[in-house]
Amino acid sequence: MNSALIVPFIVTLVAASTPILLAALGELVVEKSGVLNLGVEGMMLIGAMTTAAVMLTTGNPYLAIGSAALAGAFAALLFAVLTLSLSANQVATGLALTILGTGLTALVGRPFTGQPVPTLGPLFPPALANDPIWRVIFGYSPLVYLSLAMVVAVWFFLMRTRSGLILRAIGESDTSAHSIGYPVIGVRYLAVLFGGAMAGIGGACFPLMLTPQWAERLTAGRGWIALALVVFAAWRPYRLLAGAYIFGLLMTLEVYAKTSGGGFRIFPSEFWAALPYLATILVLVLISLSRKGSTSAPACLGKPFSPAG
Amino acid sequence: MQFRLEKRAEPSRLMLYLAPILALAITAVLGALLFSVMGYDGIGAVREIFLTPLTNPYKWQDLAVKASPLVIIAVGLSVAYRANVWNIGAEGQYIVGAIAGTGVALLTYNLSGPWILPLMLVAGMAGGAAYAAIPAFLRTRFRVNEILTTLMLTYASVNLLNYLVFGPWKSPTAMGQPQTVLFSLDQSLPYVVPGTIIHLGTPIAIAVALIVWLVMSRSVFGFQIRTVGLAPHAARYGGFSADRTVWMALLLSGALAGLAGILEAAGPFGRLVPQFPTNYGFTAIIVAFLGRLHPIGCLFAGIILAITFVGGEVAQTTMRLPFAAVGVFQAMVLFLLLAADFFVRHRFRAVEPKTSARPA
Repeated sequence: MNSALIVPFIVTLVAASTPILLAALGELVVEKSGVLNLGVEGMMLIGAMTTAAVMLTTGNPYLAIGSAALAGAFAALLFAVLTLSLSANQVATGLALTILGTGLTALVGRPFTGQPVPTLGPLFPPALANDPIWRVIFGYSPLVYLSLAMVVAVWFFLMRTRSGLILRAIGESDTSAHSIGYPVIGVRYLAVLFGGAMAGIGGACFPLMLTPQWAERLTAGRGWIALALVVFAAWRPYRLLAGAYIFGLLMTLEVYAKTSGGGFRIFPSEFWAALPYLATILVLVLISLSRKGSTSAPACLGKPFSPAG
Repeated sequence: MQFRLEKRAEPSRLMLYLAPILALAITAVLGALLFSVMGYDGIGAVREIFLTPLTNPYKWQDLAVKASPLVIIAVGLSVAYRANVWNIGAEGQYIVGAIAGTGVALLTYNLSGPWILPLMLVAGMAGGAAYAAIPAFLRTRFRVNEILTTLMLTYASVNLLNYLVFGPWKSPTAMGQPQTVLFSLDQSLPYVVPGTIIHLGTPIAIAVALIVWLVMSRSVFGFQIRTVGLAPHAARYGGFSADRTVWMALLLSGALAGLAGILEAAGPFGRLVPQFPTNYGFTAIIVAFLGRLHPIGCLFAGIILAITFVGGEVAQTTMRLPFAAVGVFQAMVLFLLLAADFFVRHRFRAVEPKTSARPA
């Protein structure tokens, strides 16, 4: 393979990885605080639809990304009220959020379906962004650089700040954190809202970068892959980066299998389409084998907490 | 008089049964408001979606046909969820069940006899159970979370279905259409009510709900499932194996989803097509919760969700309301049910206002 082939391949791969990286970073913070939100797919769809709607009415991509983050956070607020204030089952509520997101975006997004959305082009000047070699570093949309910056930011917040330590303490032992006087429910609210905003921005990547339009179920299960990715990464931001790019590689293979023939023809195109999902399962098994039982999941993950006891 | 929120000593049985009704009523009110705000005729939408299927006798047969797969899948899921086994990939088991049963149909295409249809149904159940055995194996052997595996396998099953109907199973007479051959008479579900489209799946759904109810309430198996779900430590102390419970919960829910799949393929569809996955497997999750994870409850909840499907089709033709509205209503029901459940565990109690006011 020479650079004329490999550079476009890497550029596609990085773009395909970005939405799941963003959404997974948000979910990682949520889960570190001890909450499991299975509504990522729904929040991504809400973000994607909001982005397309704002782009088609105003044409301002930054306003679109901000609106997607707000819309995702608003959807997450619904989840937070039910699970944190009304101590509803987190699995069922997360599923309900995904069903709601799927239905609501299909309904509200109808007027925008299929209309071409202007994309958010490369951040750097064309001389760099269109260079046949250097575009592998400089040729991406601002969303890609945002996702990379957020990896560092989330790592720094969780591991190097006092607030991050409190958040992790709440995820490991909510009762102890509560007895020291930390606001367990308040911190979890903030974490869930952050997760919603990140999922919303992850959804924004679709109309702004990947599929320049809105369609029903546009995110096609990427939210669920983001959830698997958090397990894959053992709740560590840097491993999340590696994991997201491995999944990006598999998704890019699928695209290449559809468009080009050659070596990909050994397997039917459906095989390549199923590969990211089958690989997720395989990876989950491998992780479990390598850790011999301990999953390194936050101890309070998914368990409701009520201060009254 | 002031009211204070407090935890109930025991969950309220009254609220447990009242919560679904409350959730439906509030969904109707909020739904009417929401759709009015969105520029539709909100009250008309609620009327068409929730009432027309009940008041129009011609729609009752549609209700039976739509409710049957939902009930069969939801009954299986309710058993799994009681055991805290989160099988959310019933859609995949439903698809693989249909594929397995269709495999039998294609092998027996030139044969005839009353044994073919039962064999297809058994193959459907086996297919669904086998597909659910993968997450069961992964959970018990490798401690891999079944929420993610069941869901990933659903996406994989859709691709398997597409591969088959676009490839090796494509009918030679279909003029390039991606579909299998039409099942023969011996391979199709008989109608049970003359002059309607109500097929064998409906009595099967009722029987499944009754049998599972009896098994869950009368047998050691049912006791084990409930104990493992409610009190895992006590269950271990009592000698119930958690791994065996996971296996049984997944095999049962997978087999029932597979049965629903082949009933749908051999009934309304009559063949396999790429449009076969209709999200019954996901909607059944709502049915299971709305039915309070109780087999008989699932029977009623299945009918209620079927009403929204049939009503959604009515509203689509009479009011041009997009079919996606049905999903919004269904999600609202589930959300409000989960919120209403708060009052199963909590209550408002009247308390005397404190006589000694705070010092000024």
